[in-house]
Parts: sequence; structure tokens; C-alpha cells
Amino acid sequence: MPDTGTITSGGIGDAVQRKEDFRFLTGRGTYTDDINRMGQTYAVFVRSPHAHAKIRSVDTSAASQASGVVSILTGADMVADEVGSLICGWNVVDRHGEGHKAPPHPPLAHDTVKHVGDQVAVVIAETLSEAQAAAELVEVDYEVLAANVDTGSALSGPEIHPEAPSNLCYDWILGEEADVDKALANSAHVTELDIINNRLVPNPMEPRAAIGEYDMATGEYTCFSTSQNPHVLRLILCAFVLGIPETKLKVIAPDVGGGFGSKIFCYAEETTCVWASKKIGRPVKWTSTRSEAFLTDAHGRDHVSHVKLGLDANGKFTALKVETIANMGAYLSTFASSVPTYLYATLLAGQYTTPVIFCNTKAVFTNTVAVDAYRGAGRPEATFVVERIVETAARELGVDPAELRRKNFIQPDQFPYDTPVALTYDTGNYEASLDKAMGMIDYAGFPARRAKSEANGKKRGLGISAYIEACGIAPSAVVGSLGAGVGLWESAQVRFNATGSVSVFTGSHSHGQGHETAFAQLAATKLGIPFENVEVVHGDTSKVPMGMGTYGSRSLAVGGSAIDRACDKIIEKGKKVAAHLLEAAVEDIEFADGNFTVAGTDKSKAMEEIVFAAYVPHDYPEGVEPGMDETAFYDPGNFTYPAGTHIAEVEIDEATGVTEIVDWVAVDDFGNVINPMIVEGQVHGGIAQGVGQALLEGTVYDKDSGQLVTGSYMDYCMPRADDLPSFRVDMTTTACTHNPLGVKGCGEAGAIAAPAALINAITDATGAVTVEMPATPERVWRALQENN
Amino acid sequence: MPSISLTLNGRSVSGEVETKTLLVDYIRENQKLTGTHVGCDTSQCGSCVVHVDGKSVKSCTMLAVQVDGSEVTTIEGLATGEELHPMQEAFRQNHGLQCGFCTPGMVMSAVDLVAGNPDISETEIREGLEGNICRCTGYHNIVKSVQAGAKAMGG
Amino acid sequence: MKLEGTYIINASKEEVWKAMNDPAILQQAIPGCESLEKISDTQFTAVIKAKIGPVKASFTGEVNLENLNPPHSYTLTGEGKGGLAGFATGSADVSLNEHNDGTELIYLVDAQVGGKIAQIGSRLVGGAAKKLSDKFFSRFAAVINGEEENPE
Repeated sequence: MPDTGTITSGGIGDAVQRKEDFRFLTGRGTYTDDINRMGQTYAVFVRSPHAHAKIRSVDTSAASQASGVVSILTGADMVADEVGSLICGWNVVDRHGEGHKAPPHPPLAHDTVKHVGDQVAVVIAETLSEAQAAAELVEVDYEVLAANVDTGSALSGPEIHPEAPSNLCYDWILGEEADVDKALANSAHVTELDIINNRLVPNPMEPRAAIGEYDMATGEYTCFSTSQNPHVLRLILCAFVLGIPETKLKVIAPDVGGGFGSKIFCYAEETTCVWASKKIGRPVKWTSTRSEAFLTDAHGRDHVSHVKLGLDANGKFTALKVETIANMGAYLSTFASSVPTYLYATLLAGQYTTPVIFCNTKAVFTNTVAVDAYRGAGRPEATFVVERIVETAARELGVDPAELRRKNFIQPDQFPYDTPVALTYDTGNYEASLDKAMGMIDYAGFPARRAKSEANGKKRGLGISAYIEACGIAPSAVVGSLGAGVGLWESAQVRFNATGSVSVFTGSHSHGQGHETAFAQLAATKLGIPFENVEVVHGDTSKVPMGMGTYGSRSLAVGGSAIDRACDKIIEKGKKVAAHLLEAAVEDIEFADGNFTVAGTDKSKAMEEIVFAAYVPHDYPEGVEPGMDETAFYDPGNFTYPAGTHIAEVEIDEATGVTEIVDWVAVDDFGNVINPMIVEGQVHGGIAQGVGQALLEGTVYDKDSGQLVTGSYMDYCMPRADDLPSFRVDMTTTACTHNPLGVKGCGEAGAIAAPAALINAITDATGAVTVEMPATPERVWRALQENN
Repeated sequence: MPSISLTLNGRSVSGEVETKTLLVDYIRENQKLTGTHVGCDTSQCGSCVVHVDGKSVKSCTMLAVQVDGSEVTTIEGLATGEELHPMQEAFRQNHGLQCGFCTPGMVMSAVDLVAGNPDISETEIREGLEGNICRCTGYHNIVKSVQAGAKAMGG
Repeated sequence: MKLEGTYIINASKEEVWKAMNDPAILQQAIPGCESLEKISDTQFTAVIKAKIGPVKASFTGEVNLENLNPPHSYTLTGEGKGGLAGFATGSADVSLNEHNDGTELIYLVDAQVGGKIAQIGSRLVGGAAKKLSDKFFSRFAAVINGEEENPE
């Protein structure tokens, strides 16, 4: 076995090095594109170069004569095989009680194409280059239609789906509009702001990939896929799209190189590979190019909002009104409808006691690729709305933004706290995080630092973002009542082997989060066995019990809790075996640090001895099953509510408008922490994506032609090492009250907190009311000119 | 088809290769060394960085025929058996990787970047790694790793 | 994308108009034009090689002459397919006026690109198109004037 690094105990709370790193560092990871199957063929998709067009004809005659071509399949072939539409798994009910509009989403288009990159045909050949060459020869005759790509004006633009008049997917509300309007009318001050949340391309570094394989002998399909949730993918492919029994499709998501939400969804390409593998009787492999990823991976954000915040004469918030247009893209992706509704409007209370809140979200279709969950999914948009309007109100009123926040915080003695937007926060201490962050950045010393910068010809600004998020969407009964098509529990199986090692099977999926390490720490601590003896297994539907996968910072809070529960079952069973072996009553057996002890005595058996007895039950209690292998399904009682304060400090060059982040402090409350090294890494990565949104990343579709003009790393500005500073990260802790681990989740916090912190800092520096994201040097320079 | 011979991770290899084959495809497809990754198609991301005659190169920007007679090292050739190269070890110690996809290219770039510069500064590292994109770590721990790796390599 | 420009050509309006309808002259003038065939008096097919940033493609397409008002003005409309590289469509309103030094040619181009060219090369399309237009009209003028024009 390779050296797995320095292990410092490996219990809960230790910054133990990761089990997965040896294989990644030596190039021995196995990502989907690294897998090659016997007799494999290669798929290349023919994609629409138009944003909106009717397909007049698809001529494959020349292409099918090309060298190495095995098969060319089109939308018509899918129609003939009755392949179903890709689905949206969350039915949002609009303000009139009607379900959202979910027009058909064929995996291969057959009558119209609705965005640039929409797939029209697939060319399958012996080699990748033969497939590419033949794809060039497929002649598609299009009748080009007017394109509609702009979020703000989509409702009045050219119609995209006959099923969705005026391109409206749904018109949804939360809260009582009349109450909010009345409270605003009675407020001493009302702050208004137009807010755009810019569209982003998730860009995990590993492009999506899939291999479909069909075994004629058994009638079984296998789908290797870059999925964050293999069971959900299997469920959708089987039950809705391809009509295969779940026993006949195995989905394997091996090492996955980042996801950030974009690999949650069921896409056309894996669907096509699985379907085609039976048609041609050979494995079909597809690997996305980065150019295809830009055109076809679900994008994130893309909101246009108008926001009003009311305040009384003492600066207490009286009401918040938010009207948002959210871009869904051309088709409704797997969870798209839930993002600007239940994951957005429900977070608009933020950390504050705002008594009444109303949100109206109009979701619209456009000729752009689908928009769905991207790191934070709805919650970054909510935090950006709340923290931008609060900051703006403070400036309008001439009060310290930190003090305005403090005045309106939900206080520690108010928990559990029912917000006016349907959530119950279980615990938190928002002032503790704010105070710590202000101390770390030396808030009091800012005016002196600003003066110094000004003396050097630079504008300096400071921006606070006091965010909240909701992780581990739950409980299943509640999300079901809100339209979710699935339960949102998680599974775990803890299997002791006879010689004392443990396999932990989790329905969560790791694509960078370090589950193999953190979950091993969790099980090792709980079971009192060495960290090295635990192996975590995930990502294969044929090995792992049905699970819901990884997104929304849910893995530890929900998946970890399931592991904890399965360990509880192991311990309970172990007590029965120990009681028998130690000749004591089960009630008298105590379990601690890996030992079963008769209370008040030194009579004890180690976990390993009990496990061995369970597998070699020569001397064993009657009525107890042999073996030591337990499964648990955990359905949380509530969301978890990580929260905290990030403060960004920037310096802006007046001549060029270039923003430099000179300091960043993050104080987060994630509840209990299993591995602080991994948690800090998650915070860093989240902040970087938030900084990317605020400063660098903009997704531009040409308004006339509907072409994606930021379709490569030459035009879409990914954060690079020299764009970012080092971050100062610290924590406060209030343990979650309703899961056994007291954990909350940390994966999205940085991406949620960062954009508002940065834009608040930039507007502070420039004096502008708003600077649109990404705050490019040009935009910042213009803001400086307009405000000086 | 032209024939090439080269030293790949210390082993002599030779064979025919199409003139249009990129070095990265030769490494991944012909030589089945899948540690070198492809993260983009515009030579921006750096996931495919290998060493050609000791210098870091984006293997998507070279043709396989160009390395005829060269010494090529990929991520698989960096460790000595199960003993990690000091830069790999530094990445592990400092949590300089998450999903692992950009990691091979990042490590190969870093090894070349710090050669002869054990006291490399944060700014030099950030500028030096500008051609390698990581979406997971925010670079914070990569910078720490490279600094530690530089020290451990002793320049 | 819109482009406009004005050129003075040292020839009479009638001569310029004739050249504007002569495939041989047009082919010489269009940068990268590999063939230009006249289908009818108002219809041509063309094969043009173009490179925009990192995208190099051979476009095949049709060019139509519309709104003919000899010898004063016409509208060129065209549509070219470049395979996986994408497509280009556009129109150019061209008008001729008498001028002290010969003929003043005014053009107004409205063009769109799609597919890979738009995705990868958008930033460069405006500049490239301007350059190609300049090249076209300077060669066009040179060919009419019987000058030897360096092909690049």
C-alpha cells in the first residue's frame, strides 16, 4: 500500500492529510476520460451554430460514407425509439396555483434548435478524429429564427416554446405583497436598488464525459459519467428518459474533477451514449471539449432584480421587497426551477429580523443554454441582494454599515428563529462572526489606511458581507410539498470486515471535497478504530445503497449524519455481542474509544474482538444475526444554516480602474468541524469563485445573433493565481442543533459571501452606488469618472 | 507515418505516430499515461503540462513528432516508486489539491518554476503559475505548497 | 457587427460598376477567394479561405446581388458555411458617386458570424473584418486601375 502521508490521529477535528492525494499527485486518479472499454467507439455531436432555428433537414449521406464511421444518429432516430424528454425534477407552482411550464427537452433536437450548441446529431466512429472529420460532413439545413437571449427583456422577445407563452416559465411569489407594500409606505426611509447577478459558466477543470456500454448477454447497461449524484442520474435515465429498469443500468462516477453543481444534472450526452451503445452494440465514449463545455454545461445565476428595503427612524429594517427575473435558458434543467425560488427567496431574511418580506420571481426562457445550480445556487443571489441593499441603505443614511447590520441581527437568544420567508434558523451568533472579522481586519484602522492609499494616488474601499445560507435541503416531506420530485435524505452503509477493517459506503459523491478522508475520520472516531482501517466507497450504484449525491453543501450534514447513524447501529449490535461474551446485561455495556465495557468493571472487549465474533459466531448470543454490516438512511429535520462575515479591502488604481484585493478576512460558523484543513480549503475555493464572479467572469451572449461570445478561456476570464490574494480564514462555532454531528456544511460559503463583500468594497472606494459585475477595470474606471 | 523515439519517464519508447498527433494525445492515448489531463482546447489551462528536456511545456501545444529524441517526464515519472517528489509531498502536506484534475499540470509547472530558486516569493509563484488554472483551491494552498516544495527541493 | 467605409477609385462610375459585376475582378480582389463562379447575372457561388484568430476555415457560400440600380448602387448579400468553424452571413450596401478623382465608393456592411468563429474569435472578428474590407477595396481599386497588387 502506498504511503498515505503523515497521520496525526485521524479523529474528528484533526487536520489529517487526505487519503485521496497520493493517487492524484502521482497521476493515478481515474477520471472518466481515463477509462477505455474493449471495442469502444467515439461520439462527436453535431451542434447548432444558431441560437434559434428550425431544422429543415439533416443530411448524413456524405458523413456516413466517411472513413471509420460506425453510425450517425439523429433526433428522428430518438423519436422512433420513443426516447423521453430530459426532465426537470422540481415542479414549482406559480402564484395562480399552476405548475411551471416544462416544454420538451429532447436529447437530440428534431424540429427546432433553441440555443447555440443544441445537439442535432451524433456521429459515432472508430476513432475520435474520424468522428470529428465525419461530423464536419453532416449537412443540416436550418431556417434561422430570431434569437432571444436577454434576461431583462425575454418576456417581450421572440417566443421560444409554444408551451410557454411570452417565454414565461412561472410567475412565483413568496410572502404577502400587500403587507410589504404597506410597511414600505410607512417606513421612514426606503432604499431602492437595481441589481444584476451576472451569468457564470461553472468550469470545473475536468470537462464532462460519458461512456455508455451495453451487455447483450445480460441486458445490462453501464454508464460511466462525471456525475455528482450517480443514483439520481440512474433514476432519471431509467424512469423518465430511456425506460430501463434500475436493475439494468449501473452508473459509475469515478474520480470526478470538480462539479460546482454543473455535474448534478442529467444531460443529453450521457443519455445519448447509453442509448446508442445498445443500438450499435459497442461502448460509446464522449468527452467534452472545453468549447463544448461553455456551450452545453448548465450555467449559473443570471438574475435581474429590483429591490426595496424599508427602515424605520431608528434604522431597523421594516420590510424587503424583491422582484426578480431569472433566466432559465432554453430548456428547464434538472433542478433549475428550484434555484431562483426555494433556494433564493427563502434566504432573503439574511441574518436580520426584517419582519415582512415579499419576493416575486418570474422565470423566463431564452435562447441560451440552461441555467441551473452553480456553487451556492440561489443563495449567492439572495445574499448579494440583501448585503448590497443593506450597504446602500447605510450609505444613504450616513450610518456605519457594520453598525446598521449589528442593529438588525437576529440575536443569539432568539433561536430557533422563524423568518418571514418560511425557514426556521436553529442556531447562530452573527455578531460574534462580525466582531471577529472586524477585529481581524482592524476595522477601526481603515480610515488611516485609506488616507495612506489616497496619498499614493489610490482609492481604497472596505466591504462587508454578512451572509447566511441553508444547506442540506430538508426534510423530504417539506421539499416534497414544495414540488421536489425526490426525497433529500442520504444513505450510508458501514461494513466491518472480519479482521477489523471497515468499508463505509456513502450515497454522497466526492469530486474534490475529500470525503474519503473526512468520512473516514468520522467513522474512525465513532467506532474507536484507527483512521487507516477505514475505506470510503462512493460513486458506483452497484456497490452503494441508493443515495442522493453531493450538492448544496449537504454531504457532511446529511451523508455524514447517515454514517453516524449506521455506526450507532453497529455499536448497538456490538453491545449485544459484548454482553454475551462478557456475561453481562446489554444495558450494562458501555461503549467508548473502541471498547465495550461492563459498566463499573474492567471487563472489556475491543471492537475488533466483537466484530470477529460476529463473523465467526462460535460463541454468540441467540437471536442475533451474524455479521457486522449496517445501513442507515438519514432524513434531516431541517436545513442547516452556516453563516458568517467576510470583509474585503481593495485598492483601486485611479488611472486604470484595476482593482487589487489587498486583504480578505473570512469568519464562518460551520458548526462542528471534522477536518479544519479541508474546511479552510473549501472556504478558499469558494471565495475565489465569488471573486471571479465579482471581478472577472462575465458570460456574454450577443443580443442580436444569440452567439456565446465568451466561449473560451481567452474571453471568459477565469481567476488565475495572480488575480487573487491569500485569504485570512477563521471561525466561530455554534453547533447545529438537529443533526447528530452538530455540523452545518462549508462548501458554498465563500461563493455566497464574496461577491457582495467585493462590490461593497469597490462601491465604497469609487463612491458609485453600484458597479455591475464583473467589475472590470473599464467599469470601475467609468464609475470613478462618474463619481469624482 | 513518421517514427519517433524518445525517453519517456526514463524508459526508451519508439513507434509510429501521425504527424498531426499532439504530444498530449500521444501521452494519453498511445502511451496510456492518463495522469496528464486535457482541461481546455485553447492552451490556457495548463492541466497538460509535462517536462520536455527538463522544461515545463503545455503538451497540447506540441506535436508528438517534435519530441523525437527528447526526454519527456510526465507526472507519473516524478515520484521515485512510492516516495513522492518533494513538490508532490508539499502539495499533500499543504492541501494544495482538491479534485486533483489540474494537479499534475500544476505540480509539473511548479517543479520547473522553482528550480534554482528555493526562496521564491509569493508574487513570483502567483505570476509563474498564471498559465495553470485551478477551480477548486483558490490557489491559496497551492502557493503555500509551491513555497514549501521549493524549500524542500533546495533550489 | 456593422462596418462602413469610403474609397476613392481612380476610374469612372461606369468602369467601377462594371468591375463590381465582374467575377474575375471580384475574385482577384476578395482576400482568400479560391473560386467565384457566376450562376446568373445576380448570383455567384464562392469558396473563400479565412483565418480569424485561431480559427481557420474554408467558407463555401452564395453571393447575391440585389437592389440593382446601375451604375449607382447595389446590395450584396451572402451566406457562407465554414463547417465546424461556423458560418458568416451579411449584406453590404454599396453606392457610387462621382468624385473629382474618379468615383467615390461608399459601403455599409452588416455582418454576423456564428458557431466556433463567434465563440472563440468574436473579440477578433471586428478587427479582422475591417482589415479584410480594407484589403478588398484597395485590391479592387488596384485591379481597376490596372496596378499590380501584391497579393498579401
